[in-house]
Amino acid sequence: MTSPSPRPTLSEARTKLRELGYLQSRVERFVFRRALEGIAVLFLPVVATGAVALSMAETAAVAASQFRYGGSPGAAALLFLHLFFAALFPSVVFAAALFFAAGRSENPGSGAAVSGLLAVAGPLFLWIFGTLRLGSEGAAAPLLWGIPVSLASLLFGATVRAAFLGRAFAESGRLPSRPRRAVLLFAAAVAVCVGAVLFAMRREPARPTPPLPARRAEAVVVVGIDGLALDSPCARDEPIAGRLSGGAKGWWETHPASPAEIWTDLATGVPAARHGVRALEWVRPVGLPPLAPPPGASWYLRGAGLALGTVSRAPVSARERRSLAFWEVAASAGLPALAVGWWASGPWPGAAIVENREILARSASGVDVDFAVIREFERRYEGQSVAALYLPGADILRGDPSRRGETLARLALFLDRWIPRARSGEVALVVLAADSHPDAGSHGRIVVFDAATASPRIRSIRPVDVAPSILARAGIPVARDLPGRPVAALFRPGRVDSTTVATYGERVAPTPAARPGTDREYLEKLKSLGYLN
Amino acid sequence: MRDAVLSPGKRIRPLVALAAGELVRAKPAGPLAVAIAVEYVHAASLVLDDLPSMDNAVRRRGRTAIHLAYGVATAELASVTLLARAFEVLAREAGIAPDLRARICRELAAAVGASGCCGGQAADLAADPAALALDDLESIHARKTGALFVAAVRGGALAGKANEAALEALTLYARNLGLAFQITDDVLDLEGDPDRLGKDTQRDAHRANFAAVLGIDSSRALVTELVETATAALTPFRGRAAVLADLAGYVRDRRS
Repeated sequence: MTSPSPRPTLSEARTKLRELGYLQSRVERFVFRRALEGIAVLFLPVVATGAVALSMAETAAVAASQFRYGGSPGAAALLFLHLFFAALFPSVVFAAALFFAAGRSENPGSGAAVSGLLAVAGPLFLWIFGTLRLGSEGAAAPLLWGIPVSLASLLFGATVRAAFLGRAFAESGRLPSRPRRAVLLFAAAVAVCVGAVLFAMRREPARPTPPLPARRAEAVVVVGIDGLALDSPCARDEPIAGRLSGGAKGWWETHPASPAEIWTDLATGVPAARHGVRALEWVRPVGLPPLAPPPGASWYLRGAGLALGTVSRAPVSARERRSLAFWEVAASAGLPALAVGWWASGPWPGAAIVENREILARSASGVDVDFAVIREFERRYEGQSVAALYLPGADILRGDPSRRGETLARLALFLDRWIPRARSGEVALVVLAADSHPDAGSHGRIVVFDAATASPRIRSIRPVDVAPSILARAGIPVARDLPGRPVAALFRPGRVDSTTVATYGERVAPTPAARPGTDREYLEKLKSLGYLN
Repeated sequence: MRDAVLSPGKRIRPLVALAAGELVRAKPAGPLAVAIAVEYVHAASLVLDDLPSMDNAVRRRGRTAIHLAYGVATAELASVTLLARAFEVLAREAGIAPDLRARICRELAAAVGASGCCGGQAADLAADPAALALDDLESIHARKTGALFVAAVRGGALAGKANEAALEALTLYARNLGLAFQITDDVLDLEGDPDRLGKDTQRDAHRANFAAVLGIDSSRALVTELVETATAALTPFRGRAAVLADLAGYVRDRRS
C-alpha cells in the first residue's frame, strides 16, 4: 500500500509549475512585438538609424577638420543632410545582410551582440579615422563632435541588436537570450577613449603671435619647376641642368601625391594632414563649400552625387588651405611678397598674387603657361622680399619632347637672367625642381644660388624644410610648430635667421575676390592640360 | 455521433482556434476547419472517457452518456469515426496551404496520441491517486487537456500562416490556459452542482485531481495566476488578442 504524499503548499505548487514551464511569461514584449509586426518595422529603423550614425560620423570628421564646416552650424547641418541620403544606400545593404544573417543564426543572442557591436563600432571608427585622415589639429573640437556621434552610434547599435533578435525569433520561434546593453555602452566608451588619446597625441596649435618681427635681408626668389627630375640620367642632357650645377643642392623623396599636395607642402612647410590640400579637385555638395570627402562617403561625393547632380566638382583653391604659404607669412610680417601661378594660391593682404587659375585661363599649352608665368613674374617683380613663381610646363608637356624642350629652353633663359643677380648678392635664388609619379613617389631638388656660397655636397632634406629655409633666409623668424627646420648650409653663412616664434597660426581666408572664369572653366582647363585624367 | 458532437458544451477549444485564426488575420475557412476538427476530437475523447472501462460516467453535457444511450460498441465506433472525420475535415480544407495542412494534422495527431489525450488517459488510469506528485499530475493534465488546447490555438494560427514568434506566444497562452481549465474542472468536480455542470461530480475524487492534492483555495489561486500568465503571453498582440484574453477570463470565472 502506497502512503499518501504530503499535500504541497501553494508556494511549492507554484515553484513546481514554474519548473515545468508554466507561470512564466517568457514574452519579452519588445522582441516579440518587433518579431510580430513584420519585416518593415524591423528593417526601416535599422536603415534610418544607420544612415543617421554614418552621416553624423562623416559630418563630424569634416567639421572637425575643415574650418568652414566646423565654424558654421548651418553648413554642418546641410552637409549632414547630404551625407544622410548618401548613407541610406550602405545602410540598406547592411540591413539586408543583417536580416539574412539573423534569419539563419544558430545563436541569435551572440549574433545580436556582435551585430550591435559592429553597428556601434562602425560609425565611431569612421569618426576617428576620418578626423585623423582629414587632418584636424587639437582634441577639443573632434571630441565635442564625439558626443553626437556616440549617441547616434549607440542608437544604431541598440536598433540593430533588437532587429536581429526580432528577426531571428520570427524565423525560429526560439526566444534568444538577450545580450547585455552595457556591452554597447562599453564599446562606445572605449572608442571615445581611443579617439581622445589619438586626438590628444596631436599637437595643439599655439596661438599666433602677430606681427612677426622681420629683419630686412636680401630678396629671396623662389622658382618652382614641376616635372623636372634633375637626378635622372636623362636630366644631364637638359639645357637647364648645366645652369643649376653651380648652386648648393639638397634633395628629397616623399610619397606619391598630386602636384597640388607636393607644391603646397613645399610652400607651407607642413604636410597635407595640416595644410589640407591633397588633390587638384575637391567636391562641392549643392549649397555647400568644397570639401575633401570623408572616408565612407567617397562613393557618393565622387561618384553617385556627381551623376545625380547633387555634387559638383571644385578645383583646388587657397580657400581650402589651412596653413600659410611662405609668401603669405612674409606679407604678414610686413615684407612685400609676390607669388605667380602657384597651386592653391589666392589673394592675401600685402602680397601680389597671380593665381594658378588666372595663368591657366590665358594659356593653351604648357609652353604658354610657362611663358605667361615668367612674363607676369617679371612684369610684377619690384624687388619684393619674397617672390615665387611656379612653372608647370615641363610637367604638362611630359609626353611632347619637342615642346617640352622648348619650354625648358625658355626656362634656361630665365635662369640665365637671374643666376647672375644671385651671384652678385642682389637676391638669393632658390630653384625647386620636383617630379611626381603616382606609383614611384615624388622626388625633387633644391638648388640655391646665394652670392658666392655653393655647397659642394648634396644634402638630404625634407620637403617641409623648404619653407622654413626660405623664410629664415628672408629674415623672418621661423614658427616652432612647423615640423621642418631651416637648412642653413644651403645659404650664405650667417644669413639664415635663427630666431623663432611660436606659430604663424592658421590661414583664415579673406573674403574671396571676383575670380576670373568659373570653377568649371578652370577644371576644363586643367583637364585640357593633362591634369585630372 | 450527432449526439456526441452537438450536445450542449462550452465549445471553448473551437473558440480559441477561431480566435487564434482571427488574431493572425486568417481567412475564416482555415480556422473554421481547425475548430471543427478539434471539436470532433474532443467529442470523441469524451465518448471514450465515459465508457465503463474508463470513467463509467452516466451523464455528459446534461445528457445520458453515449454508451448508455446507444451501447458501448456504437459509442466506440462513433468515437473512432469522429476522430477519422476530424482529420478528413482538415485534410480536404483547400483554404489552408498544403504544407500547413500537413503540419496542423501532425500536431493534432500528436495531441490525440501517446503524447496527448490517449497517453494522458492511460497515465491517469494507471496512477495511484494517493501517491501522485505534482509533476505527475501536470504530466497527465498537460496531455489529457493541455495538448488539445495547444493544438487548437496553434492550428488556428497556422491556418493564418502565423510566424514562429506568434506560435511561441500562443503556445505559452494555450499551455497555461489548458492547465487553468483543468484545475478549474477539478475544483468544480469537487464542489460544483451536478445539474449546472451537466455531468457527475465527485467522480474524479479518486483520480488525478489538482483540487484534491492542493485544496480548493490554492487551486483557485493557481488558476488565477495561470490565467494571468496566459493573458500576459498575449501582450505583444495588443488589442488583436482581446477575444483570447476574454476566453481566458471566462476559464478563470466559469462555474460550469
